[in-house]
Amino acid sequence: MQLSEEQLRAWMTAGLDGDAAAHIALLRALAPMLRNFYRRRLRGAEDDIEDLVQETLIAVHTRRASYDRDRPFVAWLYAIARYRMIDHLRRQRVSVPVEALDEILVSEGFEDAASARVDVARLLAGLSPKQARAIRDTHIEGLSIAEAAAAARIGESDVKISVHRGMKALAARIRGVRP
Amino acid sequence: MNTDDLIRTLGTDVPPVRRGTLRRRIIGGIVGGGLVSLLLIGWTLGFRPDLWIAMHGFAFWMKWIYTASISLIAIAATIRLARPDAAPSRLLWLLLVPILLLAGLGIGELAQKPARDWLAMWLGGSWKLCPWLVLTLSMPIFIGLLWSFRRLAPTRLRATGAAAGLAAGASAATLYCFHCDEVSALFVLTWYSLGILLAAGVGALVGPRFLRW
Repeated sequence: MQLSEEQLRAWMTAGLDGDAAAHIALLRALAPMLRNFYRRRLRGAEDDIEDLVQETLIAVHTRRASYDRDRPFVAWLYAIARYRMIDHLRRQRVSVPVEALDEILVSEGFEDAASARVDVARLLAGLSPKQARAIRDTHIEGLSIAEAAAAARIGESDVKISVHRGMKALAARIRGVRP
Repeated sequence: MNTDDLIRTLGTDVPPVRRGTLRRRIIGGIVGGGLVSLLLIGWTLGFRPDLWIAMHGFAFWMKWIYTASISLIAIAATIRLARPDAAPSRLLWLLLVPILLLAGLGIGELAQKPARDWLAMWLGGSWKLCPWLVLTLSMPIFIGLLWSFRRLAPTRLRATGAAAGLAAGASAATLYCFHCDEVSALFVLTWYSLGILLAAGVGALVGPRFLRW
């Protein structure tokens, strides 16, 4: 069963307020999540994986002051899990590419937390309606240029130009939004 | 130990963590280390005897505001990097503000003085010592920050080490102002900044080793 970000965050917050039962509930819920996380990425012995799960739970416990209550919990959790995994690989002197945090959040089923980091809707809202629609149709809904042009009753080259200009404006905006 | 037992053990020790604990912990490390540095200045270098008079003048505040603003920016960056999911920070671009302001004052100085005085003004009386003293005084503060990080979770260790070193160096330089009687903006821009940079460099060098968890 996949627990929701809201439930995990509620337990975490209660734990930070000193609620031991909520804290235990959180750690119990995290153990299988972390087990899946490491199993999928390390084809190592089960012992290694259980060690990593335990190390990560201890880090979640001892370093919980590094969690910001206003930010997604799973992003924080997987950032710790990712760090523990890199440290583990380094100790074994193997080097393998590890996905970035945003990709981990998506592959673990927390697209919301990943997209909360860059809020697409909010960014699109800053564009002209034509550009926003062109980008949404072609890049998010997956329509072809011809389909998007027909749907918006504009020319195909108009769609292409709108996408191009909109993307440029978005890129500029992201550079400004991320502090 | 199996994982269930571990969780039960961890569950026996759940002290409340208030909002803002991370920030307080970083600042606590800096203040604790800073007190040691201040004592070191008092014992070995001595505070400048005319401190009270200097505090009514421009040069003292020019130096102090330069180093203190760098310190604040670096502390903010350090606080961000103490979280595991920290995104790359553009905060450090703010450092350009104090640097460019001081450079502007430096150019003003050059315009006011004849060219034959420039070298003496730039080197002051303590250029050989100043960067090393700033670096030395930054060490207690850096150690204080290492203590802060024991319960925090940085994942970009080299960047975090550099930011912590920068914060320690700039805080040390801010305290060093209570000893140093140099008055030239160019002196501060060069030798103070060099000391602060050395501290940041040491931080970047040792970060991956000492901040590892």
